[in-house]
Parts: sequence; structure tokens; C-alpha cells
Amino acid sequence: MIALDCGDDFATWRDQARQLLGHGIDPATVTWGQARMDDLLAVPTPLPAGTGPFRARVPAALLAQLEQAGRYRGEQRWNLLYEVLWRVAHGDRTAMLAGDRLGSEMQRRIRQVGREAHHLHAFVRFVPLPEALAEQLQLDLVAYHEPAHDILDSACGHFADRLGRQRWLIATPLDGVRFDGQHLDYRRQCPEQWRQWARNAEDPDAELWLAYYRHAFNPARLNPGALRQHLPGRFLRHLPEGPLIPELVGQARHGKQRDGQALEVGRQRGKRIASGSHSTNPNELNL
Amino acid sequence: MQLIAKLGILADAAKYDASCASSGAPKRSSRGRDGLGATDGMGICHSYTPDGRCVSLLKVLLTNFCLYDCQYCVNRRSSNVPRARFSPEEVVRLTLDFYRRNCISGLFLSSGIIRSADYTMEQLIRVASLLREEHGFRGYIHLKTIPDADPLLIEEAGRLADRLSVNIELPTDASLERLAPEKRASTIRQAMSVIHHGQQAVAGEPRAPRFTPAGQSTQVIVGADATDDSALLRNAESLYQGYGLRRVYYSAFSPIPDSPSSVPLAAPPLLREHRLYQADFLLRGYGYKAGELLGETGNLALDIDPKLAWALANREVFPLDVNRAEPALLARIPGIGLRSVQRLVALRRERRIRYDDLIQLRCVLDKARPFIVTSDYRPAQAELRSGLLRARLREPQAPVQMGLWG
Repeated sequence: MIALDCGDDFATWRDQARQLLGHGIDPATVTWGQARMDDLLAVPTPLPAGTGPFRARVPAALLAQLEQAGRYRGEQRWNLLYEVLWRVAHGDRTAMLAGDRLGSEMQRRIRQVGREAHHLHAFVRFVPLPEALAEQLQLDLVAYHEPAHDILDSACGHFADRLGRQRWLIATPLDGVRFDGQHLDYRRQCPEQWRQWARNAEDPDAELWLAYYRHAFNPARLNPGALRQHLPGRFLRHLPEGPLIPELVGQARHGKQRDGQALEVGRQRGKRIASGSHSTNPNELNL
Repeated sequence: MQLIAKLGILADAAKYDASCASSGAPKRSSRGRDGLGATDGMGICHSYTPDGRCVSLLKVLLTNFCLYDCQYCVNRRSSNVPRARFSPEEVVRLTLDFYRRNCISGLFLSSGIIRSADYTMEQLIRVASLLREEHGFRGYIHLKTIPDADPLLIEEAGRLADRLSVNIELPTDASLERLAPEKRASTIRQAMSVIHHGQQAVAGEPRAPRFTPAGQSTQVIVGADATDDSALLRNAESLYQGYGLRRVYYSAFSPIPDSPSSVPLAAPPLLREHRLYQADFLLRGYGYKAGELLGETGNLALDIDPKLAWALANREVFPLDVNRAEPALLARIPGIGLRSVQRLVALRRERRIRYDDLIQLRCVLDKARPFIVTSDYRPAQAELRSGLLRARLREPQAPVQMGLWG
């Protein structure tokens, strides 16, 4: 048994896999672990030196798919990829297709990784830093996010497109990225200071968004199941609107379900507009 | 009035419009440039409210002051709701603030009719041009179009916005006359055709300035009048064909506070709205015709989805051999979606498809089983009558409590 560690880095894994493949080493005799002692039955055998005699040819698309699937954090993370590579290199292309048992697992991982990148784009919430602090730290926006897979590096460019010359950072429990308006600075180990800035940012203007969220909800159409389906619970902790949800659901269940209006609006005094008032100047309305 | 109080009133007033899509815009980026915002064609749902609807855009009215008296609308002039009005600068400030926080991907702005259709349209355009021209905003903008506005104004809006929409609201002239006396079906369609012509003028000309690149959409209210699904879907079909509409949204009539007696007090089942969306998707994505989905009947079945209903009514087409059938026909098998069709076609180039492959592809086999043949499977139920199959496949319906007053 050959026990390997690639540090969860795709380029390292690719070099190891190429070497293994060249020597015709069967997937059943290799294991990748975080620490080398992960697999108790593995009696370490050294990786043979040199490139080996076997010249494998695989479709270019496979490499991109392996890289994407390699961002998935889970069981057999790197072993699975080597098995796919092995089978395709030996002429069985179904191993990379969704119809095959192995291929379907790889495709599922690719989908999960894509989904998690989309979650990053959707659910990251930046907090604007006050002007003095922004000047001091050279940073306009900070965010803290907990992705389930290693997608920050490949997916964070999206925010450079969105935010122009704004300077921002995203901290996670593992990695982090900072943008200075020109360049992305990705760190596999997020500096603790970044994490502190992101987790402790004060946000005096948070109320506007919460007010919007509360009023955009239509209690007559209450459907918390659909909410849970689209918005995984693990993100609610970091979304400012998360704590509002039980309250809004509760209100809707207790009688607010008759019509769509928010409670706060119903409590205010209304204003009917006289008919035929085409000359009315709305600027003169007492709003 | 404070900004936050206005935001409450004007977000509450805008929630009855179902559309919140931010997809279909061309690729734009602000990387390394002044300004803010990007689009790449994919929509992003930044949050979901407890009604299960996606929050993608800041959806507000510029004002809920309105001269019209549409009976189904919470903002009609005779409605007793609190009123407010944003200045264009206030909407800009909110849009940019929420966008920077990554709470939204853009703005969906609509308005009650104030002074005149033209004046109202000018105000909406003012917000869009402040965003685009003064603040270099490259995010998504959807503007509601006021049907009676000057075509030149609609064209100006089309050059600023990614999407324009004109709401049909009620699908028949008679219903419009009864429930929305200030609106005319003819001017609504005229506005749609102004937008459609604007799109055609730049189609195939990559250098021409963009015109509503994410297309136009509309909304129909379901259940505020007696119109049946057949009329709604045929109407949608004619809009897709005649005006190149990107989407028709169906909004189940939502009871409003202080409701007039001309509209129902209770909402139609949300399931009806859901079935309409399913049928509409079959029109747009699968090549079904409205007439096929609704033969003689006026309404879609609630207990089974429209694709299954079509399959049960056309048993002579089935069972289909998954290894041989044309992709367009594969897509008509209940439980097999467009993505599965693509995968099946890719897989059958490599080898014969077996029943187990359909499980791997996560097809809904409970639905598909009676309608397919694979290299190792033939349905035993192929001879089963449609009525029996339907009884087996129908979705359980929530029990309805008996009304206290019968």
C-alpha cells in the first residue's frame, strides 16, 4: 500500500497521480490521507521514482473536471479521482460520465462544488467599514464566510468584477482573500487578524436591509419549507436576516396570514386619494 | 419621513409583483474600473424570505401614490394604505448600499401612476440614468414600463435597463374593464411591441447600443377573475410568439387589506400557480403547445403535473425506448428532465443504457417507469389503463377543512 499526502493541493496530487499512472500502480494499492497514518492497514511503500513506462492519454476535459471535483471536502477525496483517472486512462471513458457509479459520484461532487461557489456569491455579506478605519486598514468591506468546500480561491474573482476599485476581504475558518482594488491576495491560511476584522466589524446601518427583508415577505404565502430547501441552515448564522425568520414565520402563523401586508405597515394611518385628482401634485402630499 | 420608514412602505407595496429574476444580462465587469457592479447572465438569489421566494433585486416602488383604481391592487387610489415617495437619489443610495453589501444583484423599480404616465416613466428613467451614468452602476436594472407612456420614453428606458416589463395583469379585455378601468389591453400590447421593435432593431448588430438585453417579461394575476388556465396559457403562448417575451409570471391573487368586494376574499390555491409555472416551462423549454397541455379541459389538473398528464393522455406514444428515441421525445417522458436527456444522449454514445443508469442519473423513476424501455427493462404496467396509473401516481392533496359557513 502506498500512502500519500498531497496537502489537499490539486497540483501536488496531479504530479503524484501522473507518476503512479506511469508505473501502472492500481488504485486499490494507493491511499491519500491528511496524515499518513490515516489508514491503519496501510504499510507504507515508497512511491517509485521517475515517470514510469506507461504514457497515458486522457481527454483534456477530464483534467478540468478532476480539478473541480478535487475542491470537494469529503471521504476518499483524492482516491476517488485517481480511480476515475485510472479507468479513463485505460480506455473506459464511462468512468467520467454521470451514468456510471464512479462517474456519477465525481459529477455529484462537481455539482456540489459549483453549488458551493454559488453559495459564496449569494450569501457572503460585506460590512462597510467606517471611513477612518477604512483609511487606516486600506479596506472598505469585510466579510466572514464558512464554505463547505475549498472554493474561495477559484470563486472569489467574482467579487473583483462586482466591486470595482473597492478594497475588500473575505475570511473563512481555513483560508482568506484580500483585494486591494488591483490584485487578489489569496492565503491558504487566513491571517488571524483578517478574521478578527471580519468577525468584529460594527454595522450601524444594518437596519435598512433588515427593514427591506421584513417588508418584502408576503405572510399570506408563508412557505418555510421552500426557504429551508433553498437556503441551507448553516448559512443563516452569518446572514443578518437569519434571526428575523422565526419571528416572521411566527407572526404569519398567528393570524398575519389573511393578507400580504407587513404588520408595521398595517399599523400606520392610511391615505385614500380623491378620485379625479389628476391635478394633484404628489409633492404637496403630506407624506 | 425617514428613509427607513419609506423603505418599509414602498417595499411592502411592491411585493405583489412576483418577478425577481436577475438572469440574462450580458457580461459586464467593474474589475479595476470606477463604478460598481457586474453581470454574467446568471441570476443570483441573495436570500429567501419565509414565503420561499428569492431575493435577488431591491424591489420597490418609487411611490405608492396612484391615480388608478385597479381593484386587485393594494395601492389603488381608494385603498387605505400609508403612502410614501422616494426621491430618485434615495433609491440610488439604497441600491448602491445593498449592492456593496452583496445583499442584491440590482434594482427592480416600479411606481404608482402620478400626474401622468409620461411623468411617471420619466421618474423611473431618472433613477436608472443616475445609476448608470453618474455612479457607473453595471449591475442589473429592471424597470416597470407604464403602458401609456410615450414610445420615446420607453425606448430610452430600454437603453438603460436590462429588462423591461409591462404587466398584463388580467388576460381578458372584459376583466380589465371591470377591475382595472384605467387600463386598456390595446395600450399594454402597444408598449410590448415598442419594446419588441427596439430589441429587433439591435438584434444581430453587436456594435449597436444594447436594448433590454435580458428581454421583456409580464405578469398575470391568477384567481382575481374567472379566467381559466387554458385562456392564461394560450395568452402566454401568443405573447412568447408575438412579442418575443422572455417570461410570463403568474401571480396567485394575494388577498389585500381593506379588499373591495369586486375581488375574491380568499387566495386561489398556490398549487394552481405552481402548475401554471410548470406548464409554462413546458411551453418555453420542451416545445409543448398550449393546446396539447389543455385539450378539452379548461384547467390544469392539480393532483398531477402537466407533463405526466400529457403522457397519460397520449399513451400511444409510450413506452419509449431510451436507447433509440429522439431527444425531443425523451424529454416528454415524465420524470426525465432536460438535463437527464443530455446525459442519456452522451451515455448512449458510449454504450447501451440500462435501468440502473436511470437510477444513477437520479431520474424520477416512480413517474418514468411505466413509460420507458431500456436494454434490460420493459414496463409491466404498459397495459395498465391511464386511469389506474393516475390513481397510483397522483400527489397527495392536503386535506381541505370544511368551511364553517358551507
